[in-house]
Amino acid sequence: MARFLTIGERIHVISPVIRKALQERDPEPIIARAREQIEAGAHYLDVNIGPAEKDGEELMPWVVKLLQSEFPNTPLCLDTANTKAIEAGLKVYDPKPGKAIINSADAGSRIGMLEVAAEYGAMVIGLCAKEGIPRDNEERIAYCTEILDKAIAVGLNPEDILFDPLFVVVKGMQEKQQEVLDAVRQISEMGLKTTGGLSNVSNGCPKEIRGLIEAVFCSMAIQCGLSSAIINPLNKLLMDVIKTAEVIKGWNLYCDSYLDL
Amino acid sequence: MAYKKPVQKFTGKIREVTLGENLKLGGESVLPFYSFDGDTGHKPALGMEIWDVYPESWPATIVNELGDKARKPAEWAKYVEEKYSPDFICLRLVGANQDAGDKSPEECALVAKEVAEAVNLPLVIAGCDSNEKNGKIFTKVAEALPEKNIAFLSAVEGNYKEVGAAVGLAYGNIVVAESSVDLNLAKQLNILLMQLGVKPEKMLMNPGCSAVGYGFEYVVTTLDRIRLAALDQNDTTLQIPIIMPVSFETWKVKESVATEDDVPEWGNQEERGIAVEISTAVGVLAAGANAVILRHPRSLQVLREFINCLI
Repeated sequence: MARFLTIGERIHVISPVIRKALQERDPEPIIARAREQIEAGAHYLDVNIGPAEKDGEELMPWVVKLLQSEFPNTPLCLDTANTKAIEAGLKVYDPKPGKAIINSADAGSRIGMLEVAAEYGAMVIGLCAKEGIPRDNEERIAYCTEILDKAIAVGLNPEDILFDPLFVVVKGMQEKQQEVLDAVRQISEMGLKTTGGLSNVSNGCPKEIRGLIEAVFCSMAIQCGLSSAIINPLNKLLMDVIKTAEVIKGWNLYCDSYLDL
Repeated sequence: MAYKKPVQKFTGKIREVTLGENLKLGGESVLPFYSFDGDTGHKPALGMEIWDVYPESWPATIVNELGDKARKPAEWAKYVEEKYSPDFICLRLVGANQDAGDKSPEECALVAKEVAEAVNLPLVIAGCDSNEKNGKIFTKVAEALPEKNIAFLSAVEGNYKEVGAAVGLAYGNIVVAESSVDLNLAKQLNILLMQLGVKPEKMLMNPGCSAVGYGFEYVVTTLDRIRLAALDQNDTTLQIPIIMPVSFETWKVKESVATEDDVPEWGNQEERGIAVEISTAVGVLAAGANAVILRHPRSLQVLREFINCLI
């Protein structure tokens, strides 16, 4: 069984520091955020440049080259709704450390990202959604199947898709949490890989309990079969919980120092 | 539809470790001897055991054949190299035991140096029964023979800091991490040595050996699970080649020790000993060992044939 895959989320345009650095093409803040996440144990780094309608095609390759030259052993997850920017990023991406991941395709207007993934030999996150948040699991699974059918039609290996059932906020959508976990279980039982954004779950909660909520949700989702997550790797509690869950699941051999690795 | 042979593919690969000048161990990315699945890496290596004291308890044919050489480790080693050409020689410092001469670490280092100078084959040094004394012995021997890729059997939980620091860090030789058939401790000890600063390419592991019939199933499942963790889970802490001192175990069990007078129905004593040694070695090789240490020339011959038939 493969190990749990973590995608570090902290290079995100929503952060003022990163937004400014992206705008000004200032490498330092971006490299610093990348380094702290890699040191904290993130396998992949997500690079969210926002819609970047104006300069995405130039910005994405710049940031991809910057990160890959600094951290040649860390694969990247390219995150924007701008298809041209994704393509421009993939053109310069070196797949040696691992295939790039496109974040993301869905069953609606972004279904074309599947073709892009197939063309460039990338992986892709498949959001089980069309417009907004899916109403229930029937919809989720229907979208999951749509994405799967399309992927097969364009020659993309289902192994290269991480299906995201769309995690939802606990504060306000508490009654949906079990449903999301059940979607993870259903998709996993189809033999497919899954992922999700953990910060979605704790959004709007007090800062001091966000880490705990994410860690607990993650361990419950791992039990349901979750194979990866988009996370804040600086949340040590979460990282330790993931490592412990891997041991309990039998994905990693126990030893006294397993948290050190 | 044409039949397509299924292949078991793993993400992990056992690291390559060089013993002596160029005896490479490991490198496989499939289960032992599974050449139909992929790269089996380097052939398992066969070593022969010699002692620093006269081997009174050894099978008569070996002792008779050696004659006076059995009293001179360097000559013994040279003879083994020329006559049997094993892949490596293991010098076991039995004479450091209290009841066998209680040799000092300095004396041990002198013998080791003589042996090392007498042969071209890669060398493995095994200590005495005291882990505490082995820490001191290995320090002296490694100091006398620095940067020679000599493997030292072994660093255990109680002495890994001393052995790791001297053998691995100060004098650039190879540390063998030994645990007693305990999967979790095997991994833990590798991590502790790596955290100490020993480079993985200067490490081998011995996860614990026994003779067939003596908890051997547990030895084999432990090896199996270590290899599966290394290959299937890509556990880098366990991607270390395995060396097992088979002869140390098999020649002390009652099947090898009991004389024909005591149990006539068991048949010839030496034949029994060889049978136990061969069965044990075949068992651990098939479960993932990359090198085994043997005592009897017949065992060496049979094992070599066995390996060559399979890969």
